Parts: sequence; structure tokens; C-alpha cells
Amino acid sequence: MNMDQLVRDALHEQAADTMTTPPDFAGRVLAVRRRRRTRTIAGAAVATAVAVAVGVAVPMLDGGKDEPRLASEINRSDIIAHPDQSPPRDLIAAGNTALAAYSTYSTVKETEDRGVSRRTYYLLDQETGKYVKTTKWSILDVAPGMRTAAVLEKKLPTKRIGLLDLLTGEVVRWIPVDRGVAGVKFSPDGSKLVATTYSKNPDLRFKADYDSDGDGKKNDWTTQFGESDRTGFYVIDVDSGKGSWSKVTVHDDEDMPGSSLNVRQDFDFSHDGKLVYSGLTSEPHMQYYDFEGKEVAAPANEKYLHWSVDAGLSPDGKLAAGDFAGGAKTTASEINDPYTGKRLHKIPGQQLLAWVDNKRLIAFDIAPGTNEFHNRLVLVTIGSDKTVPLSGFRKGNDGAAGRWEPIFAER
Amino acid sequence: MDAQGHERFREFVENRSSALLKTAVLLSGGDRHAAEDLLQSALIKAAGRWQRIDEPEAYVRQILYRQQVSRWRLKWRRRELTVAEPPEGTGGTATADASSAVDLRIVMRGALARLTARQRTVLVLRYFEDLPEADVARILGCSVGTVRSTTHRSLAKLRALAPELAALAPADAEQSPSRDFSPVEVRP
Repeated sequence: MNMDQLVRDALHEQAADTMTTPPDFAGRVLAVRRRRRTRTIAGAAVATAVAVAVGVAVPMLDGGKDEPRLASEINRSDIIAHPDQSPPRDLIAAGNTALAAYSTYSTVKETEDRGVSRRTYYLLDQETGKYVKTTKWSILDVAPGMRTAAVLEKKLPTKRIGLLDLLTGEVVRWIPVDRGVAGVKFSPDGSKLVATTYSKNPDLRFKADYDSDGDGKKNDWTTQFGESDRTGFYVIDVDSGKGSWSKVTVHDDEDMPGSSLNVRQDFDFSHDGKLVYSGLTSEPHMQYYDFEGKEVAAPANEKYLHWSVDAGLSPDGKLAAGDFAGGAKTTASEINDPYTGKRLHKIPGQQLLAWVDNKRLIAFDIAPGTNEFHNRLVLVTIGSDKTVPLSGFRKGNDGAAGRWEPIFAER
Repeated sequence: MDAQGHERFREFVENRSSALLKTAVLLSGGDRHAAEDLLQSALIKAAGRWQRIDEPEAYVRQILYRQQVSRWRLKWRRRELTVAEPPEGTGGTATADASSAVDLRIVMRGALARLTARQRTVLVLRYFEDLPEADVARILGCSVGTVRSTTHRSLAKLRALAPELAALAPADAEQSPSRDFSPVEVRP
């Protein structure tokens, strides 16, 4: 017998074992389906869309006292909601957390078989308190305090990072880098940036040679499957613009290192800002690194986090936002003990996006009995069944043009 | 999905899910729970496009393969891998007894469970579905050369994982070069 035959026999023997799916598997599938939204799109958009808001000091690039005040500071009401607006036009906020921006995306054709996934941002104009459309930036992140955004220009990877003043809409400083970056995130205290380096634009899309969405037409765009052009990351001090680059190789598949990464898989900071991490598409799902790029264990209270749950740890680090915990016709999410992963609370909400304080979160939620994609921003509170709508309902299905993705920051 | 679509979807799942689960179990290296998760998320995707899919089974299978090699799954809780045999069972005293075909198959199962998802998926497509390299490449969205080299390395890894397999004659794929060397034009 040769290897071919034995592999074949072993697989067929294993397949011959009697296997049946659990009772009402279809019902279970349909129930779980309700909770999904953009997560199905490679996860990449989700990874970059929402910044975790934390209760920390506001960094100022230049802290002049005579400056006009920010719209997010002037409007200090605890809850500023616009349940009639989707996409939002005016500032939305709860407690210390505000919707700093939102984005939509679409694939722009560049050649017959290649395109690029482009985000259009709607950034809060801190003078007027309104969200203003901009197509200047390929990607951005808003610093806590909502005074500054880190922006990357359209052509990726790029060799400079802009610091955009949200009051004036001007780039106040460019931080030059030697290696091309395509992702950028602020540390929780806003003092540092982690910029992810790539050798190719991670937003490239290619004409799929098969019918990806099953509409009978081979006209779909897809990413280069399982191939990563990520090279490492910079950690940069915002004030001085100085930083160091670390090469990062993922040890997953000897044939194709990096196959457990999405094509865009940006680094982000740990809750305490002392480490950076990368999401992985397979177990253990998160890998942490020190600022020199050395692999390190997850912090004790981040062991049970998953990068796809945007809210992460509560500001005091004592609670972890968890996964969907609803049923067939209801939505709910879990709040867990970050050290053990055990569920402590079940609260309303389809998907937990950002903590407002140690008791409240902003979530996406649906109206009972409606389409899973038809969801809006709501405020949920641990220990209460009540939700407060913050925005209007999003329209369109997963990935539809014009569907907006929120970005939160501490105001 | 309208009420009729729901009905058709339920019917499809009822009739085909056990067959699909078999494939998912193979892809998951025998981990029944991971297989259910894998199948569940493939069916969720199919449900989203239900009205527009002509061949649901082919569609779900394609998602299963691609999902397995590329995606994070909806459920991610760390769990222990459940396989028929403890990994250690593939070495030591088993060596002497592993002469019979049954023993070898058990050893092989254990070794398959320890491959990476990508390696296992390529082997399932090549040896269980019996697909030619070109079809495997199309399904996984990679080059034929990558399929060939992954097959080669996966078989080599199986041998490394289970010494009992060392005595087996090499597979065809093991005799070919590990990389895709395309024919080179020779000028006179």
C-alpha cells in the first residue's frame, strides 16, 4: 500500500462513520444568521472600522487655551441621539463615547480584473457638529478627545501618516516613515500610533473566477485568498514622530506563512496600550507582540477577547464584551469575566461596539422580528432590558453600497 | 428569504446536512464540534443568498473548503481537539502493532488531525473528492503549483507525524518536485 491509498482509505473510512446533524439544524442556522452583519465580509472591514473607546486623558497636539471649543465638548448631554438619521448627520454620543466618524465602502475598478476597495469617510466636523463626507483618505483613526485623526492618503501603502485637525480639517503634521504603511491606530491614551506595514495594497480586489454571490453572474470581486503581504508594524510616538519598525512573521502554515491572516489585518493596541496584537483567522485568534515585535502571551484579562468584538474590555478592565447570545427571534449579547471567559451578564444588543462607561455600551440592534441587517445604534445597560435608540436603522444587506460602519472615540 | 425560501432551505438542510457534515468532519480533522460550526457558518452564508443559488450543495461545499482554509469562524472558543486516538498514540508501542491496514488507517486519522487546516483541505479535495489539481486550485483560489507543493509537504508531514507510515511506498505526489517548475523553453 502506498501513501495515496492509505490517505484515501482513512478519509473514506472516517466519512463512513454515521454522522447526523443535531435536530433542527436548519432552525439553528437561521437563528444564528440573524446576528451576522459585516462580519462575513472577510472581517477586514470590521477590523478597521471601529476604535475602542476608553476612559483616558485627552491628548492635545498643541494645547492652546484660546482655541474654539469642540462641538463634542460643547454638547455635553449624557445622551445625544438622532434616531431619525441613517446615515447620521449630526453628532451622536453617549457618556464619554461619541460616534467620531463612519465610513461606507465600494470596490472601484482599476483594470479589467483588478479593483480597489475604497472607503468614503464621514468625519465629525468639530466646528459644526455635523458629519462631513471626505474621499481624501484611504483609512483613518480618531484619537481619544476627537481633536485629531491619523490619516493615510489614498495610494497605499504610503510613506507618510497625516495628523488631521478635526476642527479645521487641515493636516497639521506629516509623519514620514521608511516603509509603506496601510493601517493606522491610536493607542488608548492617544500618545502612540501603531502603523501596519504592507508590501502591497491590502485593499486590492480581484475579479473572482467564480460566481461568489450566487447571482448567476461572474462579476464579483474577491481578495487574494490566504495570501498576506503584511510585513510588520511601526510603533510611533505621536509628539516626536519617532518610532521603530518590527518585522512580524506569522507561524501558521509552512507552505504559506500568513494564511491565517485576512489580506488586511492591521495591528492594534492592547487595552493597557503596552502591547500590540493582530487578529488571526484561526485559533488562537489573537497574537500579541511587544513593541519590538516579539511574540508574547495575551494579557491575563485579554485571553478571552476576540478581535471581531469591537467593544473589548470595559474602561476599568473588569468586564469583557462577548459574543451574540440571542435566540431565534431575539437579540442579546454576553458580558464575560475577562479572566475566565465565563458569562456574567446577558444584555440586549446584537453586536457590542463600544463601552460608554463600566455599565453601558453602544451596540447594534435590530427591531424585534425584523431583518438582521436592518439594525441601528442603541445604548444598552448591564442589568436593564431597556435600550435607547441612538441612530436610525441601517438599510441594505451585508456589503450593500451606502451601508455605514461606525467609528467611535472618547469625546 | 420569503416563507417559501425558508421551507426550501429547511428541506435542503434536512436532506443534505448529514452528507455535508461528513465533509466538514474530514476538513476539521475529526473534530465534530468544529465541523458543526464550519457547516453552520457555510449554511448561514448560503441562506443569505438562497434565492439566487442554483446548486445549493455545490455552493455550500465550495464555501466549506474556502472557509476552512481562509477564514475565522463564527465560534471561536478555544477547545481541545477531539480525535479518535490521542496524538501520542501514533508513536511508541503502537509501532510494532501498526502493521495491519486497520491500525494504519487509525494512525493515519490521528496524523491527518494534526495537519494544518490548509494542508488537510488539500488532501481531502485530492484524495476524498478525487479532484484533479487544477480543480483544487480553482476551488481554493490558488495556483496549481501551490496545490502540488502543499500536497507534497502534507504527505511528508504525515510521515513525520507518524513513524509507522515510514514504510509505506511514496505517493505519486511525493515523487514530483515540491515546487511547480514550469517547462522551460529550450533554444537550439
